[in-house]
Amino acid sequence: MLWIDLFRTATFRLTLGLVAVIIIGMGLQFTLLYGEMNGYEQLRSNDLLHRSAALLVREEPHELEVKLRERSTNELRVFLNGAAIFDRNHHCIAGDIPNWPKGLHSSPAVQPLTMTLPDGSRTMMRFLVVEVLGPAGEEDRLLVLARSRHMADELRYMVWHAAILSIVPVVLFSLLAGMLLSQRALARIKSIHQAIERIMKGNVHERLPVGRGRDDLERLSRSVNHMLDRLEQLMGEMRDVGNDIAHDLRTPLARVQARLDRASALSHDLSAEKSEVFDKAMGQCRRDLEQCFSIITALLRIGEIESGQRRAGFAPMSLGPLVTDIVDLYEPIAELENITLYVVLPDQPAQMVGDADLLNEVLANLLDNALKFTHQGGWVRVSVGLYGDGRIWIEVRDTGIGIAPEEREAVLGRFYRADKSRHIPGSGLGLSLVAAIIRLHDGILEIEPNESEVAHTGTVFRVIFPSFSVQNMTFSSGKERF
Amino acid sequence: MGQKNQRAESAAVSEQTNLVEETNECAAARLLLIEDDESLAAEIVANLEERGYDIQRAATGTAGLEVARASHFDVMVVDRMLPELDGLSVLESLRQQGYMVPVLVLSALSAVDDRIKGLKAGGDDYLGKPFAMEELAARLEALLRRPMQGRASLLRVGPLEIDLIERRASRSGRVIDLLPREFRLLEYMMRRPNMVLTRTMLLEDVWNYRFIPQTNLVDVHIGKLRRKIDAPGEAPLIQSIRGSGFKLCVVD
Repeated sequence: MLWIDLFRTATFRLTLGLVAVIIIGMGLQFTLLYGEMNGYEQLRSNDLLHRSAALLVREEPHELEVKLRERSTNELRVFLNGAAIFDRNHHCIAGDIPNWPKGLHSSPAVQPLTMTLPDGSRTMMRFLVVEVLGPAGEEDRLLVLARSRHMADELRYMVWHAAILSIVPVVLFSLLAGMLLSQRALARIKSIHQAIERIMKGNVHERLPVGRGRDDLERLSRSVNHMLDRLEQLMGEMRDVGNDIAHDLRTPLARVQARLDRASALSHDLSAEKSEVFDKAMGQCRRDLEQCFSIITALLRIGEIESGQRRAGFAPMSLGPLVTDIVDLYEPIAELENITLYVVLPDQPAQMVGDADLLNEVLANLLDNALKFTHQGGWVRVSVGLYGDGRIWIEVRDTGIGIAPEEREAVLGRFYRADKSRHIPGSGLGLSLVAAIIRLHDGILEIEPNESEVAHTGTVFRVIFPSFSVQNMTFSSGKERF
Repeated sequence: MGQKNQRAESAAVSEQTNLVEETNECAAARLLLIEDDESLAAEIVANLEERGYDIQRAATGTAGLEVARASHFDVMVVDRMLPELDGLSVLESLRQQGYMVPVLVLSALSAVDDRIKGLKAGGDDYLGKPFAMEELAARLEALLRRPMQGRASLLRVGPLEIDLIERRASRSGRVIDLLPREFRLLEYMMRRPNMVLTRTMLLEDVWNYRFIPQTNLVDVHIGKLRRKIDAPGEAPLIQSIRGSGFKLCVVD
């Protein structure tokens, strides 16, 4: 995983590119070096061939023959790999080149030719043909001198080795350097990722880490931070506008309510028949108005909770009594609907830091919901527990109509009503309020189908709060920020 | 809880209260309304005048403070957001100068924080806009008529009697078997006989909850209590007041 991450970093990819460039550069460098050295070796070869020829030309024809025959023992073996005298018809007279090499011309220049050696291998040789005096005193003989390219081959071998030997450590070193640099980049990216995750969790005051550097990552982080500032400001303005609207609606609505209240009193003056119609209309108006109020209040509450101001009022508290009390409050409703209401509490106290009023609201909403959607004869169970790592969970499990998997995320959104629940009254904001309160407490809300063996349908709402000590730390840092 | 204590502290301790007398007192109650919104103020004035209040109204904080100092009022309704001087400052300076008139703070900010601020500044009750006139009227009535104080170990209202030490309730000698939560509700209602108690008041004062339930939670609780205290053939004691709440009704 780490290796894949490493490979994915831009720095590491850059390093790889750089390594490729280095390899190509070194290849070019060695090719050039080899070319130069090869050229020099050729010049040296030619020079040697010419000088040997110049020496041999001066020999007596007979002496020359002897010298060639005894080449393996004299100094000629050092400079030459082959030497022979041919007549005009290219028949070998003396020397160790038995046949006239194919394609060899009688010209004063050195000629490179590929030859098949007696053992069958082919090799490249450089030949020089010079006319020499025969026993008759005429220049009717041809002296052929040959020099193999094995010096050049050795040179190539040497250069190739040098190239390999120098490229491997350079590549390894570059890769190592690249990895170390990427590791650094990766660590920075990781801290940026963590910051972004915290922001996405709703901690809108959080910013990306920025040091004093001026590199591209820092500059990018700064730009992102500026963007976040702007977004936060816009969000604040949006919230203010939303809150202002809700706020401004309250006063005129309060007036409407007051007028309705006064108008209701007039029903006494009407005839019995009219009074009934009037009262009915008034009742409907009141109910609608109440719904308006509950929506406005819930919207303002959500806005207030999302602003995070309520964190200031967080205090240590125990969830057990909270749950027991609220279940006690809802007990008569469950009884009325013939629903069994259970409480399951852990052996050790579930301590956490939070706002008891808000958590009561969460529990009340979840209970409201569970009871509303559970049929007569069903059951609802509220349980509290602790995970091994100290996190606290609260679960409200019902045997109600259940929530379709595709609707589980949507029910937390504002004004969402599941298809099955359209006929049941409510503002549609209860669960978004619940979600906002849980977010404020750094908790998470899980919705699952109730798969308990006794139940056929139903839903589980599970709230998980971080462990107490972690929560505490979040607060201290939170307070510093505000 | 807080406001209950404050009410309790500032109230004169009276063991047995004469209900008829209190109702008369209520009818003559002088009320000061400090509210800047003209039409809401007009509605409040019209509505409360019908209920027999003698109302004076001020539109700004400074004017309100002057009027409050100049003459005696039985109860005050103060909006939190006012021009010139805000409601809480008016309240604080009144309290500093020793005016102990009960005050209901009215505000569009009904968040708990604001409520706590309002109560800390010396308010006796807090009502968030929008509110029903019945809610305002019920709360004003509650401010004017202090609940029966809990010095006695025995509370008696009409045929009902509860023993606060034994936690026992009875009606005309018939013992009523109550759960602790039902006992608490009945005690609260018996301390405020013949007073309209709204659902919010019950939820806040009896159970100490500050949320608005989606269901008819309070009605269900009242219904259960009602079935226990009214045996077949007996006169129903708890009345539902439409659009407002409930009332423990007894005639002496």
